[in-house]
Amino acid sequence: MKFSISREALLRPLALVAGVVERRQTLPVLSNVLLDVREEGLSLTGTDLEVELIGRTMPSQVEEQGAATVPARKLMDICKSLPDQSEITFALEEGRAVLRSGRSRFTLSTLPVAEFPNIEDTQGSIELSLPRGTLKHLIDATSFAMAQQDVRYYLNGMLLELRSNLVRTVATDGHRLAVCSRSADIEVEPAQKLIIPRKGVLELVRLLDDSDEPVSLTLGASHVRAHTGDFTFTSKLVDGKFPDYERVVPRGGDKVFIAERAQLRQVLSRTSILSNEKYRGVRLQLEEGNLQVMANNPEQEEAEENVEIEYTGASLEIGFNVSYLIDVLNVLDEDRVQMTLADPNSSALLEEPGGGDAMYVVMPMRL
Amino acid sequence: MTPSRRIHILNPRLANQIAAGEVVERPASVVKELAENAIDAGSQRIEVELENGGARLIRVRDNGSGIAEDDLPLALSRHATSKIESLKDLEGVASLGFRGEALASISSVSRLELVSNTDADPQQGWRVVAEGREMEPRVSPAPHPQGTSVCVRDLFFNTPARRKFLRTEKTEFGHVEETFRRLALSRYDIGWTLRHNQKTLHQLRSVEDAAGRERRIASLLGAKFLDHALHLDIEASGLRLWGWVGLPTHSRAQADHQYFFVNGRVVRDRLVAHAIRQAYRDVLFHGRHPVFVLYLEVDPSVVDVNVHPTKHEVRFRDGRLVHDFLFSSLHRALGEVRPNATAADSPTPEAQQSEATEDETAPRLTGPAWQQQPMALRSSETSDRYPGAERVRQFMAGYRALHPEHEESLLTPQAAAPGTEAAEVAVRERPPQGYLGETTPAQPLPEDDATQAPPLGYAVAQLHGVYILSQTARGLVVVDMHAAHERIVYERMKTQVHGGALDAQPLLVPVSMAASRAEVETAEAERDAFVRLGVELDVAGPETLLVRQVPALLADADVEPLIRDMLGDLERYGRSDRLEARINTLLSTMACHGSVRANRRLTIAEMNALLRDMERTERSGQCNHGRPTWTEMSMRELDKLFLRGQ
Repeated sequence: MKFSISREALLRPLALVAGVVERRQTLPVLSNVLLDVREEGLSLTGTDLEVELIGRTMPSQVEEQGAATVPARKLMDICKSLPDQSEITFALEEGRAVLRSGRSRFTLSTLPVAEFPNIEDTQGSIELSLPRGTLKHLIDATSFAMAQQDVRYYLNGMLLELRSNLVRTVATDGHRLAVCSRSADIEVEPAQKLIIPRKGVLELVRLLDDSDEPVSLTLGASHVRAHTGDFTFTSKLVDGKFPDYERVVPRGGDKVFIAERAQLRQVLSRTSILSNEKYRGVRLQLEEGNLQVMANNPEQEEAEENVEIEYTGASLEIGFNVSYLIDVLNVLDEDRVQMTLADPNSSALLEEPGGGDAMYVVMPMRL
Repeated sequence: MTPSRRIHILNPRLANQIAAGEVVERPASVVKELAENAIDAGSQRIEVELENGGARLIRVRDNGSGIAEDDLPLALSRHATSKIESLKDLEGVASLGFRGEALASISSVSRLELVSNTDADPQQGWRVVAEGREMEPRVSPAPHPQGTSVCVRDLFFNTPARRKFLRTEKTEFGHVEETFRRLALSRYDIGWTLRHNQKTLHQLRSVEDAAGRERRIASLLGAKFLDHALHLDIEASGLRLWGWVGLPTHSRAQADHQYFFVNGRVVRDRLVAHAIRQAYRDVLFHGRHPVFVLYLEVDPSVVDVNVHPTKHEVRFRDGRLVHDFLFSSLHRALGEVRPNATAADSPTPEAQQSEATEDETAPRLTGPAWQQQPMALRSSETSDRYPGAERVRQFMAGYRALHPEHEESLLTPQAAAPGTEAAEVAVRERPPQGYLGETTPAQPLPEDDATQAPPLGYAVAQLHGVYILSQTARGLVVVDMHAAHERIVYERMKTQVHGGALDAQPLLVPVSMAASRAEVETAEAERDAFVRLGVELDVAGPETLLVRQVPALLADADVEPLIRDMLGDLERYGRSDRLEARINTLLSTMACHGSVRANRRLTIAEMNALLRDMERTERSGQCNHGRPTWTEMSMRELDKLFLRGQ
């Protein structure tokens, strides 16, 4: 194989594909990226056996078609550090990949293409398409709440629920829960629920932008595939049952207050400096028109802040992990936030005033 | 022939020596008697000092009330005591001793010296020794701090036959140490010291709280005991049972490390032993013995301790009630052992340090102990995937069918309660009446709550077709899938069989069996009990019984020995579970054949289902034969293997 391509045309797909490739590998071929040059263009494939990403781009000239696998990270670092607008020539010579650009020459080792794993084609049972902006918003609004390396493996991912005219994402780590739903012009019967693993979610969202361009989804029994013009993303699904999130959403909280989101976030961030580094606990004292936020640490240092809120009702003292609250305030869009509480042992509900498309449930801490 | 042989009164020393034959067997018995006196004197600190295994010297020193100077001469004479006055006192005796024999007996076979002081002034003490055939006490002043010291030198110096029976110093000291252990376990509020040949072997400070008790147990029985023990505290019908029972997997080859105390008195009783053995049935590996430290507290008036001079045996006024209480409490406690009950509950390593080394309590963190509350995440299909509550109900219904009504209150369906504490509350709060006809509503089982990762985690793989590897929050669990499945099938069968009424099979030709008159009497008296168990017995003559009907499951069994065993049990313990035992043996064999065998490939989903089943099943820690079904390696242990974080 032999082709040449401009640095700019190669860099973006290469960077995204290399993101899938794990830094350290026990299977050497997995640290490589598969380059495949054909008439219709160049495709780059990276995989970690769970998530596979294929990017497509156009070479400026194809001299000889063919395929090769080369170390992904090294290739990317080389391309990144070449000067802008460079033209890169790529050739396979005696089992080694030779990269030329201007007066530079790099020789990279290759591994046989046949060794490169290929996630088998899913029998796509359901195909549908969504605006990219919608899916990106849904993921952005909830992904922070995914668990990380939890023994409850089904929490280490995001639930994607697709039903007629509605898409919903749910994530929880057992202490907080995020739900976001949006209407969409889709027809799914029966409703589909799939758990996309954590890494897949984080890679998928990088492919999406805020446009109304479509992303087409193919749902298989054990895989999900997303297609956006230049990229094909495939992820294995987590085989498990996601908890019944609807039961967790609190009902009947009677203490509802509304605060300025940015202001409250700053108050919490400042207070958190003196909270216990391990537990990150802050105490909220809710009173009419005022919210007092307090924190102290084992060294007996103390922080106290007061913030104005819209509230009339009984006072309440409740503790929270401050990081959980800040995470929620970070992803909400509106200028103001509404928080619903019941008692010091019941979960809190955060949402946009009057209820937006996202709901956040945070469990309190017990003092 | 021998006209000179006239009847005469034995001289006091000889009479005492004869009495000593019963009570004073070896140095350990001296220690027991003297220490019990010290306890009865209300001491806070008791020191035991020995030389040469106790053969040369035994000294027991206490800081109790002491003996007044005027009483000292009496202290060493026989049938003299301050502990009881009338027969009424004897019926409700609260002190350990009461016979008034110990000091006299010991003094008759050794050189005994008693120094005592009732006053706080250490110059005020008095000494008493008894000498000669008549054992005339001689009192002289001697300084002593408040309390009493008894010094026993040269035990059995005047009874060579006894002396010959003394074993080596090491053996005798072993017995003393065992006695000391029992005494120290009987009273946590007393500080104990044991010294041998000027070496301090045990120094136990008095403790008040549960952690202190556990520390003492750890230092006397080893820290491992508590790691594998279950704490229980159950109160019902005026009885209270508390203490620690070893998990069935932590059994011993010998029947040592078994301590049972009735009102603070160590007891080795047949009834008690039987009840405990029954509770451990089919969870203990063949030939192994359970370990336990148990305290039974009863009204002193319903227990008779005046059965034997050493008071190792007791008699309960209502033996059947005690037996049932012990059995059902322990049975339930052991049945509740689920995979989550182990390491999480065991005390922290700091708490296990021996009392002697733990001088100051570690400074506690001053900051508030924040605790993040978990979310009550539940699986979507809770109801049909967790039939546990229903199963427990069936199980308890089975019990009700098997046992007479008056003990119902002891056999309430507390398998549904999450832990011993809750069970205890339930026992206390439940009115004795009104419960009987009530069907318990399906309570949500704790297992339904998927808030935490399940205790046995999620299956990762199958190893050699025999073991399931599972990842848990703490580390790794390895499950013997056949053993585990066997237990699950067995418990399920038991529920089914004992859930319904026992199907009875009338015999075409009644079996006639010869029986003793006592057996016939028992058969008549316990006719109702037999009928409930599906057995119909007729008295055909003064020494003949006719078996007309047996449970259908046992139709092929040899009836006669079974009935004989049942009669024996009913007579001795007031209760027979032979039939149940036999049926269970049968079910156990069936379960063994009906469960998955090695080399059966299981999918991850199947393995997870098995793990969840284990978490729900009672006694799932052991298979039907008492072998463990699973074992855990924490991340810490695994890390140790690879020298990580060292």
